[in-house]
Amino acid sequence: MPFTDQEILETLRMVELETLDVRTTTLGIDLFDCADPDLESTAEKIYTKVVHHARNLVEVADSIAADYGIPIVNKRIAVTPISMIGAASGSSDLVPLARALDAAAKEVGVDFIGGFSAYVHKGFTRADDALFNSIPQALAETDHVCASLSLGTTRAGINMDAVVRFSGMVLESARLTADRGGLGCAKLVCFMNPVEDNPFVAGAHIGIGEPETVINVGVSGPGVVRSALARLDPDADLLAVSETIKRMAFKVTRVGELVGREAARRLGTMFGIVDVSLAPTPAEGDSVSDILELIGVDRTGAPGTTAAVALLTDAVKKGGAMASSSVGGLSGAFIPVSEDQGMINAVRDGSLSLAKLEAMTTVCSVGLDMVAVPGDTPADVLTGIVADEMAIGMVNNKTTAVRIIPVPGKGPGETVEWGGLLGTAIVQDPGRFGAKVLHNRGGRIPAPIQSYRN
Amino acid sequence: MARRFITVEDIHRANGAELVLDAETVVTPQALEAARAAGIVLRGPNGNYAEPAPDRGPDAGNVQRHLPHMPEPPSEFSGGTGVVVTAVGRNRPGILAQITAALSQGGASVIDISQKTVDDWFHLVLTVELLGDATFESLSQRLSALGGEDDFVVRAMHERVFRFMHRV
Repeated sequence: MPFTDQEILETLRMVELETLDVRTTTLGIDLFDCADPDLESTAEKIYTKVVHHARNLVEVADSIAADYGIPIVNKRIAVTPISMIGAASGSSDLVPLARALDAAAKEVGVDFIGGFSAYVHKGFTRADDALFNSIPQALAETDHVCASLSLGTTRAGINMDAVVRFSGMVLESARLTADRGGLGCAKLVCFMNPVEDNPFVAGAHIGIGEPETVINVGVSGPGVVRSALARLDPDADLLAVSETIKRMAFKVTRVGELVGREAARRLGTMFGIVDVSLAPTPAEGDSVSDILELIGVDRTGAPGTTAAVALLTDAVKKGGAMASSSVGGLSGAFIPVSEDQGMINAVRDGSLSLAKLEAMTTVCSVGLDMVAVPGDTPADVLTGIVADEMAIGMVNNKTTAVRIIPVPGKGPGETVEWGGLLGTAIVQDPGRFGAKVLHNRGGRIPAPIQSYRN
Repeated sequence: MARRFITVEDIHRANGAELVLDAETVVTPQALEAARAAGIVLRGPNGNYAEPAPDRGPDAGNVQRHLPHMPEPPSEFSGGTGVVVTAVGRNRPGILAQITAALSQGGASVIDISQKTVDDWFHLVLTVELLGDATFESLSQRLSALGGEDDFVVRAMHERVFRFMHRV
């Protein structure tokens, strides 16, 4: 059956007017064979392997974008958690490995490389300890390296010692990048139940069950869903809303599937997954917040917002699951505050509080993302915020994350401009009370009863 | 599995003026430099060392075998590549002739055509098939050179995008 004019014009409208794009093609590269007793040699091997495999990544992604007329905005690399690769060296300073990753990213022209990472949900190895100590300096010194940490899983519980160290690390990263508004923290994220095939930064890395190399694709498309809902009759009921989102998610995911297959074919590697996530950008209309308001809340953050996020995330997953057999990663809806103009406005207008944002993360696909707090936020307050978010993920068997930026020298209500995709943030108020005793106790929150499933 | 990398340390440890490498071994740029400085010749199985093609791992081969068999929504096009061409702009005589001339020069045969005008404006949708050696890239370049600001804009997209999006 030939395409109808309506179908053709719909596709063109999505690309031209509704900012449909493939947000990222991320090449996963396993680095286990780079481990070496000598740290310098490890760095040498890491640089060489990343460049060897990713040399054509940008060229291939650009050629697919040209052939299919679909923009591929970012080209990225994800690698094996570096604490595992640095372990053989016995070094207590793993910053040289971050430099090697950064140099490789620059050489091949990708915008980010993720995987300066460690899994510490049950405890620390010597190398994990070294990585934790190296992260603030590594993030301050490099431009493209992202760090992610697994602080808990539903199976293991929450490693509160690691949460406490994470809080200190966030404050130290902010201090070392104070001249850039604490930007180091934008490249640092902690996870509960991390996914090992996540193509999106800052959490991108390749888990231990992943192949030698793999292409993972992250689609986007808040603009497409937003316009479809804007065209829907305001009297249409919520089943119609869900159905409309599903249909759009199907179409967007299909584009990701096409690009993923083609990238795998052209690079001669494996096609891993499509991450079906509505990922907003600061661009006009490319907003998840706008979608929530079109679903029916007066302003994002008002009562009803959590229900709207739940409907949205579920419909996106259902549409995506029909469109591809390889849906993976985080898949759902992201709510990064500083990267979404609608969210920024909602914070400015006093509609979206930190507490409401936390409630929304119980049903979105990730967690507290790109949230700015005052630069003098005490460590125990950060520990409390992170522990709460980890607990939500642990009990609900889902991935949650925290990417929080204590902006040096700024207080609640003040604005910080990071520019580009990271956008603008208004510093949010975490309240007057903290969790000093919880912070000082440390230890581990045991795995919840629902983890005993064997 | 062959040795994966040769590093500067390996060059320092090498005895003699020559290092013989496996076909898959990759020499780091730093090691290449060190070998040059030390006068050590690096040899692969077929003469001097050259960087091998990336080994994407054991799964990559399987994927290359099964990727062509992944089901796709059925295509209307029997042999050639399908392309959807759209043009939007201010109407004037000769636009269709200009576009079809470019299509003909680009080796494309028109399968379907539809045009609508509203007041001074038109939009045109053509479905075409590339024949013989014609490539999407050259056709796309030819078409994008047409028209211009205040005139009309032409865009070519691979029909596979529409198939993936609109067909199950």
